[in-house]
Amino acid sequence: MTTNLVRLLECNIRNSKATVAQRTMRVFSSQQEQSSVEDDEEFRVLNLRTIKQQARRRVIKKDAVPPPRTTHMPVDQDWSAVWSGPRSFHPASVPLPLRQGYTERGAAAPSKYANAELMKIPNFLHLTPPAIRQQCEAIKKFCTPWPKGLESEATWKAIFPVEVITTDYCHSLPTIRHPEARRVTITLNLVDLKFDAHAKDKFLRLVGERYNQETGVLTFTADRCPTRKQNYDYALYLLTACYHESFVTEPWEASKSEADMEVYLFERNKAKLSAEAILNWNVNGEKQAPSATYAESVEKLINEGENEYNIAKYKEEVLKMLKIAN
Amino acid sequence: MNFLKKVTLQVLPKAEAHLSLGNNSAIHTSSVCCRVQSGRYRITVKRDRPLTYEMANPPHFIGHRKSWNSWNTSTLKDALRPSQTAIEDVFIRKFITGTWHALVCSEIIIKRQHNTIRIAAIIRQAIAQRKMYFLIGYTEELLSYWMQCPVTLEFQTVADKKDVVFKYI
Amino acid sequence: MLQPFRNLRLTLPARCASALSSIAANTTASSADASPAVNSGQIDKLYSKLEIELRGIDPAVLKSYTWFATTAAEHLGIELGKCWSPRKAHHERMTLLKSVHIYKKHRVQYEIRTHFRYMNFHKLTGSTLDTFLEYIERNLPEGVALQASKTELQQVPEHLQQPPEQV
Repeated sequence: MTTNLVRLLECNIRNSKATVAQRTMRVFSSQQEQSSVEDDEEFRVLNLRTIKQQARRRVIKKDAVPPPRTTHMPVDQDWSAVWSGPRSFHPASVPLPLRQGYTERGAAAPSKYANAELMKIPNFLHLTPPAIRQQCEAIKKFCTPWPKGLESEATWKAIFPVEVITTDYCHSLPTIRHPEARRVTITLNLVDLKFDAHAKDKFLRLVGERYNQETGVLTFTADRCPTRKQNYDYALYLLTACYHESFVTEPWEASKSEADMEVYLFERNKAKLSAEAILNWNVNGEKQAPSATYAESVEKLINEGENEYNIAKYKEEVLKMLKIAN
Repeated sequence: MNFLKKVTLQVLPKAEAHLSLGNNSAIHTSSVCCRVQSGRYRITVKRDRPLTYEMANPPHFIGHRKSWNSWNTSTLKDALRPSQTAIEDVFIRKFITGTWHALVCSEIIIKRQHNTIRIAAIIRQAIAQRKMYFLIGYTEELLSYWMQCPVTLEFQTVADKKDVVFKYI
Repeated sequence: MLQPFRNLRLTLPARCASALSSIAANTTASSADASPAVNSGQIDKLYSKLEIELRGIDPAVLKSYTWFATTAAEHLGIELGKCWSPRKAHHERMTLLKSVHIYKKHRVQYEIRTHFRYMNFHKLTGSTLDTFLEYIERNLPEGVALQASKTELQQVPEHLQQPPEQV
């Protein structure tokens, strides 16, 4: 039944342009396809005017692109909910008439749509002032106030004289390590450590370059160990070792001769003997010692150099010692 | 290959210096930079060559009229891993242009923030949304596996290629 | 002498309190501070200074970021110090031949510019510093490197307070 119908139809349709209808019919009658083809071969028709038998190209059905989100955004929306984190610029989400790009004079800059320049530049749309305030209020509970009574540097220096300086690095790499992050610097003032005269002298010789003569600050920097903790421990160890070592008096330290002295000391020098000799000229009983002020003036004269004040002071002391009225 | 030239221009000498540290006996060669040609386009007779904004501005305008395509801290002073970052960027660009074949209309912008990589580009709306979503997931998954860090794609789509054309020369 | 320290003790975090206890031994104030560091029983650190160095390729981005960081510090009640940037960027230049082979007189220069920007924050407790630093580090834009130098305040260690008795 269907075969006959198809053949009949085909005869009618062949020269007409309704090829689409034919195709659909064929699909329906796929079982009897074979026989109908044979029939076709029997009654081949000479097709003088060739008709384009090409199948029409299948039209790709595109879904309609919805209009940008900015068109139905309320004016009083919560912007931090729209743009909550760092993200490249997207024109459909930002309801601002932005333009970006250099053009020749007179022409308008390219608009925000399909503008790669706007996508390149890091934007701070997630860090608007209300968003910062909101986030800061949320994290404020983790903060503690600076203790009262330590407002000025002098007050905190009195209790916490040691400063430990460490550095953190934040960069855009898959690794969070940085070779410089291990460096630890410990600084403190020399006056915060208690010394006697010998220990201070020895300590300064031990620390060498780590002591700044002008500011009086000791600086220990350690970066030889792989971790920060180890470097901190090592710097503290250096400080401790130098401090304790400076109180040790080695036997060979007694053999320090006058040439090794870094300052002039009245007690150790010829000046004292000469002054004593002058004072005790022809005195057989109690020996007289030169006065402390005289010793000081001599030390100053030699240690600080000859200036007007020191020479005047020295003269005064000498006159006083020799009991000469001027 | 425009992007390749641009990236290698900036970083290649540094990368060479890095390599030569371990291998002092290497032959010293200077890189061919093609300063005269790279990133510049010739005017055609019919004045019908489409240029995007990026292509319309030659490389010496980077930082003045146009901005960088790679945002990372490796090129800064005393920064780590300059060469590895450059090579990774080249790889990402090649992978994306190949995966999104004939769909990418602009340069691929690679932004590195902490350990994440964000990739931005302008894509043509030539394929179905489902395919696009698939490709986004596919690209993110594979790249994050290779780079060993989270990768996010932030694409903008345009209806037609002509939307990104800035001028014809 | 004791009176100011007694006041101090009331408000100080645990560490300062322990530091002061040797000086003002007979103060019987309980540190009823409501700060989380005290509640968790941990000793809070004190930082006199936090210096942040920013490096980036785009000065405008650095400027915006500085604005963000200073605003956040203002909201959190952190004392802001000097914020400045050098006027000129650091230029790393490479000079190459313009042509492939010869023509030595014709060179071409490539340069990488690094812009710097510095910020200083003063007088932070350990918990404030951690909170603030993590907040601004999380919001660090791409292409900007951050370097935070922290100056921690510490007491002189006990074994260094007095000269050693026997050596």
